[in-house]
Amino acid sequence: MDLLDIRNLTIEMDGPHGRVRVLDKVSLQLKEGEVHSLVGESGSGKSLLAKAVIGVLNPLWDVTADRLWWNGKDLLAMTPKQRRAITGRDMAMIFQDPLAYLDPNATVAEQITEAIPAGDVTGTFLHRRVDRKTRVANLLHRVGIRDHDAIMQSYPYELSEGIAQKVSIAIAIAHRPKLLIADEPTTAMEPSTKEQIQRLLGKLAVSQNMSVLLITQDVASILPATQRVSLLYCGQMMEHGDTEKVLERPAHPYTDAMIKMSLQAHAELAPKSRLPSLPGAVPTLRHMPIGCRLGPRCPYAQKQCVKAPLVRHREAQSYYCHFPLNEPES
Amino acid sequence: MSHLLEAVDLFKTFRPRRAWPWSKKSVALEPTSFTLEAGETLAIMGETGSGKSTLSKIIAGVEAPSGGELYLNGQKLNYAQSKRRCQNIRMVFQDSDKSLNQQLTVGQQLEEPLLFNRDMPSSERNQLINSTLRKVGLLAEHAAFYPHMLSTGQKQRVAIARAIILDPQIVVADEALVALDPSVRAQIINLMLDLQKDMGISYIIVTHSPQIVKHIADKILILYRGKMIAFNETERLLTEKQQPYVETLLHEHLTNHSQITGNSSAKVTE
Ligand SMILES: Nc1ncnc2c1ncn2[C@@H]1O[C@H](COP(=O)(O)OP(=O)(O)O)[C@@H](O)[C@H]1O
Ligand code: SF4
Ligand SMILES: [Mg+2]
Repeated sequence: MDLLDIRNLTIEMDGPHGRVRVLDKVSLQLKEGEVHSLVGESGSGKSLLAKAVIGVLNPLWDVTADRLWWNGKDLLAMTPKQRRAITGRDMAMIFQDPLAYLDPNATVAEQITEAIPAGDVTGTFLHRRVDRKTRVANLLHRVGIRDHDAIMQSYPYELSEGIAQKVSIAIAIAHRPKLLIADEPTTAMEPSTKEQIQRLLGKLAVSQNMSVLLITQDVASILPATQRVSLLYCGQMMEHGDTEKVLERPAHPYTDAMIKMSLQAHAELAPKSRLPSLPGAVPTLRHMPIGCRLGPRCPYAQKQCVKAPLVRHREAQSYYCHFPLNEPES
Repeated sequence: MSHLLEAVDLFKTFRPRRAWPWSKKSVALEPTSFTLEAGETLAIMGETGSGKSTLSKIIAGVEAPSGGELYLNGQKLNYAQSKRRCQNIRMVFQDSDKSLNQQLTVGQQLEEPLLFNRDMPSSERNQLINSTLRKVGLLAEHAAFYPHMLSTGQKQRVAIARAIILDPQIVVADEALVALDPSVRAQIINLMLDLQKDMGISYIIVTHSPQIVKHIADKILILYRGKMIAFNETERLLTEKQQPYVETLLHEHLTNHSQITGNSSAKVTE
């Protein structure tokens, strides 16, 4: 059974110019312990999808789905209280800017202590104090912070970007969640720090038996440990599947473009030559193309594309396109 | 012939603050000299806290140096004399959220530098605003948007639009590219390359992406704890043996999927 099973999730909201559909029939499945990367440029709906999972969407929005299941339980059928209980127990999230998320007025030790479930610490008052401190130190070790004594006493502003993100990860894993959603945790970090955080997330997935949904804007930033990857564009799922397969033989023109636009691909071009890019800009919500939303920017688009493509499968890949690339010779 | 830009022993000192190995490094800049010609791109590299932003802010006149001189076309620039520099050296900041005014529409933010520096009728201003918005991959209708209605990538484009709207000789971009969406980033880099080819514009970019540096920079300046430890042509820095710190910065490959460029299909769009 999938830990998370989303089928045809649609989110609509009323804007100043009428109703807009910000997520359009998005499906995504996540297994226990799976590391999954969700790739899409800004505005594609990645964060909304994450919010739908943890249940913090604006109640005025229209959320429909054939399925939004957590461990086989229907999240949409639950009361807000039931949902909060599940989110609080099983899920955690980290963000791009750890400093915006950490409490500026509390030390690292205080913030991590607060995140440790009360039930974890037992015994006499004194024993509990020592126990808490050991647990905080342990959590810091697990996120790769060795000089924990010094870090514990620090306030967030005293920390470097990488350490601050590690602290927010320590807080996130304190209650041993089944799913960690990392919303662009390394965008704008320098390469060595980024690499550390990525390696750490991959390692934690294994050691904590925790699923990780990594949200990123660039295929170059997906986790080395990613088993599956999904690509989202303008609220529509473009392609998902086995990472190696998808990156080696993308079926979808968007995946293909994202690969060619990655930094790694640039390294192979002549200096100062023009870089491959999708033409035009992401459409505004008011002017979403009908059918396949990539249409106006897609080099392969044809008349048929005004009808939304249904999902198709090819080995370990699923994609939504009328004219797929890299088809196996038959 | 004078250089487009020449820095002679620029330096900056800060009051020392509490510095532990794990804390943010306190930034200072030791005397730094370099030159930049018209149509060239200089990349400033170095780890976080090495003084990259300090140097770029001094060049753009956003921060005063503690000493040293800066010459534009052979003429000395004073920190106080900001108007000439303001037109000729424009800066794009790392965090477009902080550098854009949340109370003004995109159109108003682009109009501001025009009102201060150009004498043109409002119809012409609007035309220039529209064409600049399109240049950076936005739509004319975005002029009516407030920053909060835009995505991060779109806000960064507005910041870039504001920098190029005055046709400056030098654009200083502090980490402006790295957080952009891939398609926007590629478009902006192409746009920067086009502007450079057409108008001989020069760039000083601060970035930690070796891939971007290799693609667009003619020269690289490397800082280590506030000290310039290398300044040379990209070509030479890449081909000749360098000290380990320089090597890591230049050759650090973002992890994983090195096969990412694999056998994806042949059609390439522009
Ligand atoms: N609170 C909101 N009110 C109105 N529109 C929103 C809100 N949050 C997100 N959106 C819109 O929904 C779309 C998807 O947003 P988001 O999930 O934040 O994208 P991503 O995380 O992929 O950058 C965007 O077009 C955005 O403008
Ligand atoms: S369905 Fe059509 S427009 Fe959409 S990706 Fe495929 S070819 Fe392009
Ligand atoms: Mg987001």
